[in-house]
Amino acid sequence: MADLKKLYDAVLNGDAKTAVAVTQEAIAEKLDPAVLISDTMIPAMAEVGRLYECEEYFVPELLLAARAMKGSLALLRPLLAASGTKPTGKVVIGTVKGDLHDIGKNLVASMLEGGGFEVTDLGADVSPDKFVSTVREMKPDLLCLSALLTVTAPSMRVTIEALKQAGLRESVKVMVGGAPVTPEFAREIGADGYSENASQAVVTARQFCHPDKAA
Amino acid sequence: MATVSAVNTSRQRVLESLNHRQPDRIPIDFGGSATTGIHVSCVAELRDHFGLEKHPVKVVEPFQMLGEVEDDLKLALGVDVTPVPGPRTMFGFANENWKPWSLNGLEVLVPGNFNVTVAENGDTLIYPEGDLTALPSGRMPKGFHFFDAIIRQNHFDPDHLDPSDNLQEFELLSQADLDDIAVKTRAANTGEYATFASFGGTALGDIALVPAISLKDPRGIRDVAEWYVSTRSRRNYIHQVFSRQVEIAIENLERIYQRIGNSIDVLFLCGTDFGTQTSSFCSVPTFRELWLPYYKQMCDWIHSHTSWKVFKHSCGSSERFYESFIEAGIDIVNPVQCSATGMDPEYLKSKYGERLVFWGGGVDTQQVLPFGTPQEVREQVLRRCQIFSPGGGFVFNTIHNIQAGTPVENIVAMVDALRSFGA
Repeated sequence: MADLKKLYDAVLNGDAKTAVAVTQEAIAEKLDPAVLISDTMIPAMAEVGRLYECEEYFVPELLLAARAMKGSLALLRPLLAASGTKPTGKVVIGTVKGDLHDIGKNLVASMLEGGGFEVTDLGADVSPDKFVSTVREMKPDLLCLSALLTVTAPSMRVTIEALKQAGLRESVKVMVGGAPVTPEFAREIGADGYSENASQAVVTARQFCHPDKAA
Repeated sequence: MATVSAVNTSRQRVLESLNHRQPDRIPIDFGGSATTGIHVSCVAELRDHFGLEKHPVKVVEPFQMLGEVEDDLKLALGVDVTPVPGPRTMFGFANENWKPWSLNGLEVLVPGNFNVTVAENGDTLIYPEGDLTALPSGRMPKGFHFFDAIIRQNHFDPDHLDPSDNLQEFELLSQADLDDIAVKTRAANTGEYATFASFGGTALGDIALVPAISLKDPRGIRDVAEWYVSTRSRRNYIHQVFSRQVEIAIENLERIYQRIGNSIDVLFLCGTDFGTQTSSFCSVPTFRELWLPYYKQMCDWIHSHTSWKVFKHSCGSSERFYESFIEAGIDIVNPVQCSATGMDPEYLKSKYGERLVFWGGGVDTQQVLPFGTPQEVREQVLRRCQIFSPGGGFVFNTIHNIQAGTPVENIVAMVDALRSFGA
């Protein structure tokens, strides 16, 4: 029988091979993928987030845990889709125009996935037009914009303006983050939310999607 | 009241401060290294502002597109430091055979082997050693201002990793390179300015260097995320890379020292960032296991053979590592990012002011300098000078390079504030 404690530990310890192996066992045993995610994967990634918050984990540990989780989710996601299970929320994420940095954005995307969100990652150096067309097409609950560089943070403002001009601003909550971004800057450019790290991003995203259930 | 040392030259002013004595005024660096420079577009604007001779500015650091701070601009800004660059730029070509190039409409000068193409989406691609037949190693998004590394990890097999692959760029210096270093050192060492050398080879896992943008066909771990992960999951591999790299580095330092002696004042040791905006990239115990012994080996050699001061750059929330930096033998920290968590300037000065030189911390380049008002710039500069300057141990610099798009009036407000403080 699949050892779900082992899966939990594998995600926590960033052991992708074990995470995939236990997930395969669980699938073979016809365990409910939605339950596997809600009872094992999400708690494991929440613990990863907690360890990051209290500085027992750092970027390398987050990256490793995210890889393990992704390996497992890649197997579970098709089964979820087939069963019609609803995600915690739909997110579109990307690094803004002119900025090629993606580690912070990838960590936020992974933590959101690990929190049960369906994440569409547009990558780095994403133009305002691309964000707008994807929001129009995917109708996400949340749009997450990332920037590492001081000189590209203003692209966030341009992207939010583009959403307004396209008449889409009210249809989606916008969260921003990255090294040069502050809560004041987020307010000034008209974003709905800000988080200072990947773990906090999940908490903020939950507040937007399910204010009643937010931690 | 602290005794103020009499100085005759900029170099003496810097040395007084590096030795934790109060100089006549705060020494200033702009353009001394790849983390204390000015974007070429801002250099051009400053030259215009000060009415200096009009000519295209040389891009002396083509990755971040930093401009040359020539002697006339040094004088206008009050700069006390001059750079001693290594034989080649980050893209593996020498700073020679200058040619014109247009950076978003600004005419600048770039090295002869600064060879670029324009991608379909309008991005500018640059090539290692200027070799257009190699895969490009840097990308500048269209309309933006500097390059980022293109990750080329084409020979990566996680089950068969060989540490020598990550040592590809660390070699013993050739005679030609040593000659080049000797010539550049001699040219810089006039006695007027403090000399700030960046010879390379001593950076341990600097994430800007891991992709090896100077190499045509890099091997080993070259992806940024893969490298970070490896500092946790492949620690033995990293130890082997660092251990051998430091052996090579010390041999190179010995050979450099034989050629130039104590003609340089400061050596740029390493630019590895250990801090993030609010946290760090690793724990202190990890730092002490994986980095400290290697830094200490290099610093021990330097301090037992030379009078060079050792400069360590680490962005972000780095204070937690300062005790370890001191134990390793690091003399100078930069950029002193006061906006990061745990980097309160008064706390830093009171706790470390007698043991570390703060080279930076002068004004924030994420918010205040690029986006603030001249008055906000002035207030922050004056406050930082009040905090950091007493008793020396301070070289004024912005917190990292002055970024493209920074209003020239804000840079001038910074310079004016320095002057009014008595710098």
